[in-house]
Amino acid sequence: MKSLMRDTRIEIRIGGTGGQGLILCAKMLADALCTAGKHVAQSQTYEPTSRGGYCNSDLIISDREVDYPLATALDCLVLLDRMAVKPSWALLKPGALVIADTRLCPELPEGNYRVHHLPLSRTAIELGSERVANIVALGALAALGTLCERKALEQAVRADTPKSFLDINLDALSAGHRLGKQTAPLPA
Amino acid sequence: MNAIDKAPAPGAALRLISGNHACALGAVAAGCRFFAGYPITPSSEVAERLSRLLPEVDGVFVQMEDEIASIAAVIGASMGGVKALTATSGPGFSLKQENIGYAAGAEIPCVIVNVMRGGPSTGMPTRPSQSDIMQSRWGSHGDYPMIVLAPASVREIYTETIRAFYLAETCRTPVVLLYDQVIAQLTETVELSDGENRAPAERKWASGPRETYRPYAADEDGIPAMSRPGAGYRVHTTGLTHGENGFPTQNPEAVARNLGRLFTKFERHREAIDSWETLGCEDADVVIVAIGISARAAMRAIDIARAKGLRLGLFRPITLWPFPEKALRDATAGAHAVLVPEMNAGQLRLEVERILGSQRVHGLHRYDGEAISPEEIAARAQALAREKTT
Repeated sequence: MKSLMRDTRIEIRIGGTGGQGLILCAKMLADALCTAGKHVAQSQTYEPTSRGGYCNSDLIISDREVDYPLATALDCLVLLDRMAVKPSWALLKPGALVIADTRLCPELPEGNYRVHHLPLSRTAIELGSERVANIVALGALAALGTLCERKALEQAVRADTPKSFLDINLDALSAGHRLGKQTAPLPA
Repeated sequence: MNAIDKAPAPGAALRLISGNHACALGAVAAGCRFFAGYPITPSSEVAERLSRLLPEVDGVFVQMEDEIASIAAVIGASMGGVKALTATSGPGFSLKQENIGYAAGAEIPCVIVNVMRGGPSTGMPTRPSQSDIMQSRWGSHGDYPMIVLAPASVREIYTETIRAFYLAETCRTPVVLLYDQVIAQLTETVELSDGENRAPAERKWASGPRETYRPYAADEDGIPAMSRPGAGYRVHTTGLTHGENGFPTQNPEAVARNLGRLFTKFERHREAIDSWETLGCEDADVVIVAIGISARAAMRAIDIARAKGLRLGLFRPITLWPFPEKALRDATAGAHAVLVPEMNAGQLRLEVERILGSQRVHGLHRYDGEAISPEEIAARAQALAREKTT
């Protein structure tokens, strides 16, 4: 923690509502990055109502120990609900990567960002459960953000998934990854 | 059970754990074998983890009927000779105060975790705060000494939990571990190695002839030896003012002797108790004094300010009470301004002003449930530096 040098840091936020698995999703990504030797700090904001209230999960990635563990300027924002747009939009860095769900977050403010509107929740529903929209988003984020190796992420998903959800979670990760690979950013 | 629930292996690599999780691991590493608590956001993960960890080491986990019963059970377990812990947040910490005073007065070692959330009253359950700084020191009625440790990272929660048990046991006192919701529920990569583990602390146990044992008679170190349950020593424990024999008394001489020893018993142990960190204070024009998440923000603020040519430093008390006064004076000797960012209306600032005088000391206070950002601290420090030059 003792450092007078500025770290290189990457800030990611996954925003939506309580119950969407945003914290789990960030923890899986953090696990994969930790395995790769990165320093990460993962925090969350949530409401006392555990379902439906505004929730976000933040991840700070650094080559060294993270000094300030909360988000101040986002390199990447994943949006799984329109409720999460307002509290996060002002924190975006110019040129930041934005991945938003087409169904739950149909409208976005203007800005000089790399915006990808993707059918994350619709893909999850087609796979059999809207509950895996978080994992679809994780796959898309990993593909677009090139944050870590896909294998490490798959390992993290396996480690943090209950048996009954393992197959669908792995399918969701692959589907998200495909979505991420196929998309081109919307014109700014 | 997940692999991360295991106690750290020697030379362990980077691991991802949360602050509350680190507290549970630290407690087990310190030899804690009893937890009693009542769930309360944002401290519940300490209980959750210990409910799994303690049975594995033949320890006892009890979810009690309420907060008061929890601290009472912890005191009882400690009197039974076991290292004991409870964890709570502001509203529960208030309820526990009477018994914390009992533990301080009767000199029962125990550790109380208070994860600070927004207040007063039930306040903001899921939002951070640092507004129990004064309560942690002065929360119970009457005069009594108190040790409060204020870790600022997941890793430090682990090491300070171990130190909390060490100090509780060796100084025969309740110790409060005080941290905010951000650090509690923050998951960070940490390296926990066995090198950090001290040998588990041993309480000073009574030895020698049973006939002459007096439960509150102390030798030079100010700490009376406790009788191990069943050892055959005659013991009496009470919340009433007592003499060396442990029985209630209001005899002025006996009261003055015992309370005089109680109030000063940490003095000979300050080397083990005091702990702080300084960062860039040697050449700083403005020194920040902060704990917890505000100290983490200050670390980043130092980089921001120094990049703009402002020499900023940080003094971070790790032992909050008793406050490391001399270290603060030394660290701020060359600074023309001292800035205290904290998530309350000015509690830490009050102590800093008491030590340094109010002339150089400025506060930066937030109580809206949002952490103070590095940019806010850097901007305020720059304004203070400008005031000086104009």
